[in-house]
Amino acid sequence: MNYLYFLYMEFLAKHNIPQLFGDITFFCIPITIIFAALLVIVLALVLFERKLLGWFTQRKGPNRVGFWGVLQTLADAFKLLCKENITPSGANRFLFNLAPIMMFTPALVVLGIIPYSSEFTFISTETNLLLFVIFSALPVLSILIGGKSSDNKYALLGAVRNIAQILAYELPIAFSLMSIMVLASSMNLTGIMLAQSTKYGALGWFWIPCFIGFVVIFICTLAELNRCPFDLPEAESELICGYNTEYSGMRFALFYLGEYTLLLANALFISILFLGGYLSPFGKYISPILFSQNVGNIVLYFEQAFWLFLKAFFVIFIVIWIRATMPRMASFDLLKFSWCRLLPVSILNLFIVIIIKYFGGLYA
Amino acid sequence: MNSTFLKLNLGPQHPSTHGVLRLILEMQGEKIISCEPDIGYLHRGMEKMAEKMSYIRYLPTVDRIDYLAGFFYSELFCRTVESALELDLSERVKYIRVLLLELNRIASHLLWIGAFLMDLGAVSPFFYVFRERELILKYFEKITGQRMMNNYFVFGGVRHDIFDLDDVEEFLKILQNKIQDYNKIITDNPIFVQRTLSKGILAPDLAVNSSITGVNLRASGVKLDFRENDYLYKDIEFNPAVLNGKDSLSRYKARIEELQTSSEIIKQCLEKLKEHTNFRNDLVNPINLKLPTGEFYSQIEAPRGLASCFIKSDGGTSPYRLKWRTGSYYSVNLLRHLLKGEYLNDAIAIAGSLDIILPEVDK
Amino acid sequence: MNTDKIKEIFDCVETKADKIIVKKDFLNVIDLIKNNYKFDMLKEIIAIDNKDCIELIYNLYSTENDEDLKLSLTVSNNEADSVSKMYDSAVADEKEIYDLFGIKFIGNDELKRLYMPENWQGHPLRKDYSENDKRLEWNE
Repeated sequence: MNYLYFLYMEFLAKHNIPQLFGDITFFCIPITIIFAALLVIVLALVLFERKLLGWFTQRKGPNRVGFWGVLQTLADAFKLLCKENITPSGANRFLFNLAPIMMFTPALVVLGIIPYSSEFTFISTETNLLLFVIFSALPVLSILIGGKSSDNKYALLGAVRNIAQILAYELPIAFSLMSIMVLASSMNLTGIMLAQSTKYGALGWFWIPCFIGFVVIFICTLAELNRCPFDLPEAESELICGYNTEYSGMRFALFYLGEYTLLLANALFISILFLGGYLSPFGKYISPILFSQNVGNIVLYFEQAFWLFLKAFFVIFIVIWIRATMPRMASFDLLKFSWCRLLPVSILNLFIVIIIKYFGGLYA
Repeated sequence: MNSTFLKLNLGPQHPSTHGVLRLILEMQGEKIISCEPDIGYLHRGMEKMAEKMSYIRYLPTVDRIDYLAGFFYSELFCRTVESALELDLSERVKYIRVLLLELNRIASHLLWIGAFLMDLGAVSPFFYVFRERELILKYFEKITGQRMMNNYFVFGGVRHDIFDLDDVEEFLKILQNKIQDYNKIITDNPIFVQRTLSKGILAPDLAVNSSITGVNLRASGVKLDFRENDYLYKDIEFNPAVLNGKDSLSRYKARIEELQTSSEIIKQCLEKLKEHTNFRNDLVNPINLKLPTGEFYSQIEAPRGLASCFIKSDGGTSPYRLKWRTGSYYSVNLLRHLLKGEYLNDAIAIAGSLDIILPEVDK
Repeated sequence: MNTDKIKEIFDCVETKADKIIVKKDFLNVIDLIKNNYKFDMLKEIIAIDNKDCIELIYNLYSTENDEDLKLSLTVSNNEADSVSKMYDSAVADEKEIYDLFGIKFIGNDELKRLYMPENWQGHPLRKDYSENDKRLEWNE
């Protein structure tokens, strides 16, 4: 990061632009990059999901717009942009407009926390694990606001369901994260990831000592993202579309985009915590072997990002697989499942991890 | 009205009401206090229409009463007219009718499985069952020229002889494999069992009292199948599945069993069709067809319960009064009792498990 | 056969073709038939407008003995007794008959227009319907 800052300042100095301008604008650059990259990846993610769901259900998926349907999501986004933004007459206009923005913004911030490769982390603080948890839970607020302000009973029911769901599923996540903190002795995502770098490669990652935590966090993430089988807040067969029933056009697109951004962020988060983040599964990176020192360094960043996104997309693949297989859970079984199963199990996991840490010495 | 109750209009435009059913729910939180079904958004006046039309002009419209089981209503109407005119069907025609009816029943139940799982939130089975249903519809298209509104039965016979019976045999083989698949992906799915086991309990007394017939009744442990007294099924041996679960799960299982029963009936039909190769229609001239004065009543076991047709004739070219009885109409009525005290997302599953088809309800 | 017994027992009934015509005390008759002869299912109620009167045919069925019984009732003054307390399915049938024939069933609280709009005049399946209804004018 310092190196990039230095390069930027040098570039500005060459063109006689004051340093103050550089100081201010430097922080806008990563946000712009994130936004551009994010749009592309999220659009790809939507296509990925639709294609996979198509294949799971004996269909072809989108294949008309662009080669192999690659432009389908772009076309859909364009269509949504062109649509009229309808506000229900009984809605609270201010809150109704605020909700989609509140959904999308935290999702963006969350992506900034992720370490993409060893030189590419935008927001790196000592406790950015907690930052991630806080920001990834913020969209709940927007769902509540959106559901309440849109003056629709289905939306209200969806929002209420969502609150109950999040309350139930945040706690097991917290306990599982605690076990990760114990294992890694760190609350920094990069620190947690580097704690997993052993010579055993994929076998040294935290998914083995903290397997229960891995499963618990995976299930809870499904619930937090309102993915099947926990998609009760937007259960289309009961609540039509849940909290975003009344949303249309660009506002709906923001909700939609926000959901997929969060899906991506959470998949990245899981792969960092349990699947070694940008570490290579073989223990050693490939690019330094293939390339010379100078080129290898730059290729290494891309290799790291490649491993990270490969793992993330693997997680997303499983999420989609579950969506294609499972029916939706009943609302009260869902809460019971969290309070009576996941929570005790995740506390048990914490104890197991503490014992491993105390005697194991593997992750010293 | 008590202000603590949330009044929710479920439908008529709602993704899971299988058409245009409207349920007026009074809810406390997500618990349903009372349910009042409201129908009539798809009323086409089939009964009034009959009084203005000659019999042969009315015949093509009866398929539309239940678009998923058109053959049954077609057969029912033909049967009533035949009983009035005292026409006898030849053996081959009888077995052709049974074959097509049972294929239609399989198609209808397959679609129900998909729609029910859709109500529970599982998307994929919907496409799987459509894959198998497609084979049946293709065969119907080959035989009758239509996929759904077949209009193939006529008074005293069928339009023409049946052919390509190998397709049916092949379909039965495929269906057997697919039923295994359904059992793997649906019946053994823990969430599915959790959502349906002992949900929506329909006591046998209430079921009989509410005039519920067909698979829903047999899933409540009452052995009642109107096919057993049916003259078309006279020489065919079959054993309708009776389950004692009384809940949504056993209604699902009963339908899966029904697929097996139907395929067994079809197998026997195929055997009989090989024996009786002599195709003979006993047709009447449909132009200016007049029924003798009197009241004629006939019934059939349709996929959604007992269906019956009542014709009162005054000797004219069109019925004096025609009345349809459809199974779904009483299932909708039953929802008043069945949904009381359930939570909203169970309610959707329970309503779905009764297999309600709205065109059949509204007639 | 139960049907024959019923014909003998009640002097208020009279048979014609395959149905039993009930002259009076309809509720008592149907109550006795339901409880003593196990006709536990009401398959349907068929209403027929015979121009001078409206006839209701109650199509009863016994699941135990697999037996059908048709009771016929002639309605006067457009009012009949509801059997919805005995047979739950009658609620649905009576609703439909109320809408299409305009017969009020005493004892059924859920009667309202089912297919037709609330303020619709006339009852479509009556034989005198099209002559009386002014709404049809703009339709033709």
